[in-house]
Amino acid sequence: MDELYLDNIDEFVNDHNKIVTYKSLSLTLGVHVNTAKQMLYHYLEHKRKESSPQLHATYLVTGKFVDNGQTCHRVSIVREDQLEDFKSKMSLIVSVHVYSVQKALLKDSGPLYSVDYDAVKDHLQNCSKYSAIQCPGAVPVSSLERQQALNAPNPPQSEPGNSGTNRETNTTSKAHPRPQKGIMGMFSKKSAVKSQNTSEEVKPEQKDEPAVVDSAKNKPAAKANPMMNFFGSQTAKKSVKAVKEEADQTSERKSPQPCEKSDGAAVQHQKDPRSKTKRAEDEDSEEDKMDKKKRRRIKKPEPDSSDEEVVPDSPPPQEALTRERSPKKETETVQPSNSHSGVKVRKRRRVLKSRTYLDADGCMVTEKGFESESYSESEEDFRAPKAAQREPFKAKANPGSKEDDKKSQKKAPASSNKGGKQASIMGFFQKK
Amino acid sequence: MIIQLGSGDLSYDPGFQADEAEASFFVNKNLTGFTILCKQLLQVIFCDACGKTMFSDVSAQKNGPSLLCSPASEEQGPTFERISLPYELYSDRYRVGQRSFSRQYAHIYAARLMQMRPLLAERAQQKWGSNVLIKKLCDLEPGEQCCIVGTLFKRMELQPSILKEISEEHNLLPQPARAKYISEADELILEDELQRIKLEGKFDKDKCVTGSVVAIYGAEKNDGKFTVEDFCMADLPLQTPRPALSSDRFVLLASGLGLGGHNADSMLGLQLLVDMVTGQLGDTGEQSGAAAISRVLLAGNLLSQNTQDKDASTKAKYLTKKTQAGSVEAIRVLDELLLQLVASVPVDVMPGQYDPTNYTLPQQPLHPCMFPLSSAYNTLQLVSNPFEASIDGVRFLGTSGQNVCDIQRYSSMDSHLEILEETLQLRHLAPTAPDTLGCYPFYQKDPFILEECPHVYFSGNAPTFESKLIKGPDGQEVLLVTIPEFSSTQTACLVNLRTLQCEPICFTAFSADKDEENEMNISH
Repeated sequence: MDELYLDNIDEFVNDHNKIVTYKSLSLTLGVHVNTAKQMLYHYLEHKRKESSPQLHATYLVTGKFVDNGQTCHRVSIVREDQLEDFKSKMSLIVSVHVYSVQKALLKDSGPLYSVDYDAVKDHLQNCSKYSAIQCPGAVPVSSLERQQALNAPNPPQSEPGNSGTNRETNTTSKAHPRPQKGIMGMFSKKSAVKSQNTSEEVKPEQKDEPAVVDSAKNKPAAKANPMMNFFGSQTAKKSVKAVKEEADQTSERKSPQPCEKSDGAAVQHQKDPRSKTKRAEDEDSEEDKMDKKKRRRIKKPEPDSSDEEVVPDSPPPQEALTRERSPKKETETVQPSNSHSGVKVRKRRRVLKSRTYLDADGCMVTEKGFESESYSESEEDFRAPKAAQREPFKAKANPGSKEDDKKSQKKAPASSNKGGKQASIMGFFQKK
Repeated sequence: MIIQLGSGDLSYDPGFQADEAEASFFVNKNLTGFTILCKQLLQVIFCDACGKTMFSDVSAQKNGPSLLCSPASEEQGPTFERISLPYELYSDRYRVGQRSFSRQYAHIYAARLMQMRPLLAERAQQKWGSNVLIKKLCDLEPGEQCCIVGTLFKRMELQPSILKEISEEHNLLPQPARAKYISEADELILEDELQRIKLEGKFDKDKCVTGSVVAIYGAEKNDGKFTVEDFCMADLPLQTPRPALSSDRFVLLASGLGLGGHNADSMLGLQLLVDMVTGQLGDTGEQSGAAAISRVLLAGNLLSQNTQDKDASTKAKYLTKKTQAGSVEAIRVLDELLLQLVASVPVDVMPGQYDPTNYTLPQQPLHPCMFPLSSAYNTLQLVSNPFEASIDGVRFLGTSGQNVCDIQRYSSMDSHLEILEETLQLRHLAPTAPDTLGCYPFYQKDPFILEECPHVYFSGNAPTFESKLIKGPDGQEVLLVTIPEFSSTQTACLVNLRTLQCEPICFTAFSADKDEENEMNISH
């Protein structure tokens, strides 16, 4: 094992004057907790041999302790100077290892807690990754799946015979193993992965969108997950609705389409303005077409999928889809390759273009490529009236950064009511 | 048989206790290291013979390489798999669906008496002969030896009564809360469906509480009082025998986490608890032992009493507009804590007296919307208080301690364990409900009556840890556990499902004012 960790620990302890606990070390370096403990011990020995500036350590001792006739299992953090004394008082020692290393002598064990708290906070989602016990049953269930499970008794609404579209099937069949590409996917990495898989199949329809959505989702999934979950239940209904609408749209827009990309290319294009991978060729024309179509009702299905991930509690991001398409136009080539790599990439590559136009609902939407501004703008715009705004929203949502998403999301809800028809007011909130 | 170890001899016979073996082993002071090893060896040899397997022993047996060494090259630490046991939650009894509070509480008492009368009649016949006369109060004749079955009512002068307080003719000031409301002048009355009768005689009236259904043997005297000669309770219900398990599995019980309180010291203890259970703490032996912890049960009072905003309703709105309730931040901390736990072990979370759920028993489970991070995992189970479930065939039943505390206030019993045993003997979880303990007005059932005897019966938020194994008249075996309050004692309990024993675990650290010795119950 290379000795780089010695330098790392040295840096933490001496340069930053921090307390290094085995747990923070394991989370920071990404090693098993036992390895981290051994690393700390090695570092301690190493430094002591070199007679470097005074280092202090705390140890963890566990074992059996007899107190007034009652035996208990005791887990204690002790200072180094108290270690031997403590060990002698225990009747049976089970384990001893280094708990932390720091420069200053700790009088109180309070700071140890704050170090661990911060370390865990930073790695909240995989805090058990480096522990010695893995629980196979502890699997995070995406809120989408949970919602589905809850809504399972409800028959799928609306879809008039759109079983073809993935979205529909996804939303309607609770038992569907894969989370819906569109809405559901947004809520969890898993769904994202699944969505991506499904989107493979359903390329024509969702391809880009779901893919984009998924990839976008994946990226922000980690961070957005807690937030997503929070919004999960609230948005679940919306998602379902959105999906429904999407389904409707989808079905209307195109005849039942197989997952083949070739089928209904044109229609698919409309649906997935983003399918970067697939369609390099028809984009422009399709996008235009789709723009128009999307504004009407077709927008709904697609925006849903892409929007969901970004803004769980916003109405289906159909509009966003259309929006995305437009910006996509500009940065088409870039997108296809980036769709899977992540929203960020797409965003970066997109040319910043500003387009202002009136939605079908009379909302003014300004697109500026994938700047966050456009995000919030579109979000707010389409918050109130679903149809028109989903497009811009979706467009923005996908490429936007997580922060943007979150910001815009937060703002969108807040300002959705206000910003119904006043796109200009939304401008105030964008810059933040 | 003589074992020669180091400089001492040790002789043992079968049935020798492990501690006796250690006592007779004389250690050469120079061999301190060897001493420790030998003690461990003895534990390993003897503990199984004694049938006692503590968590420490389990962990010590599987000692891996010491962690006081340099890391081995490229070797990832060992990973143990969390043991997974069949689990069944019996939640229907304590779930209240549509709630209607326009009912009188008399229905609960009627249902209680109706359900327990036949049980008590049977017990009475077992105790006093099958030809004992069991009579209703309305059929009593003076001087006739008989047995009556009914609900006890204890009239206490000091019992707070809202009617007395607001009554103007009494002119009473509101009384301060007391630790105990019993006094010498208390009277016991037995009520059945139609009548009531005062009781006197040789029995300990201070131990009895209102709402317990008992059978009394004696005679009515001429002055209208019933002289008690003997009494009996419903005693333990039947128990399905628990399956014989092959390996040691543990369930961790903890309560009174007290988040949001001002006692920051307990947070480190809590972190140590979580780390130990999730397998981060300790060396490989300890971690493999922790992998045998199949479940964690948090028995109430996850939030501290400080989070209860008493004056929220009385304070002016303009003063409280921007302030957040104390429980909001505390729940967020709890959610993060639970997230660390549920990623590694199934957790059952019971609400307690200070948790954000309804006040009356049975308390409904906490709502998952409060736990956005941890409710994503299906290992998080939000359960009701009281709680009943079967883990690997071992039946658990318990509460967060409100019923025990209430009985403690209205009787002379002080030990939570004693009260726990008493409720088991009465075959009723909370006899004082609804008299002094808030309870939902059930209509035709009383869900607090024990219908099947549990194997582990616990109550949370006790001042200290106590446990006892009791035997019932029909061969039942119950482990009684009082789970100590973690925020003040830093102690949790581990129940071994195979041997039905409970062991406390305490977590300590050091602080400026304490030099060395950490006592079990000290919070630094």
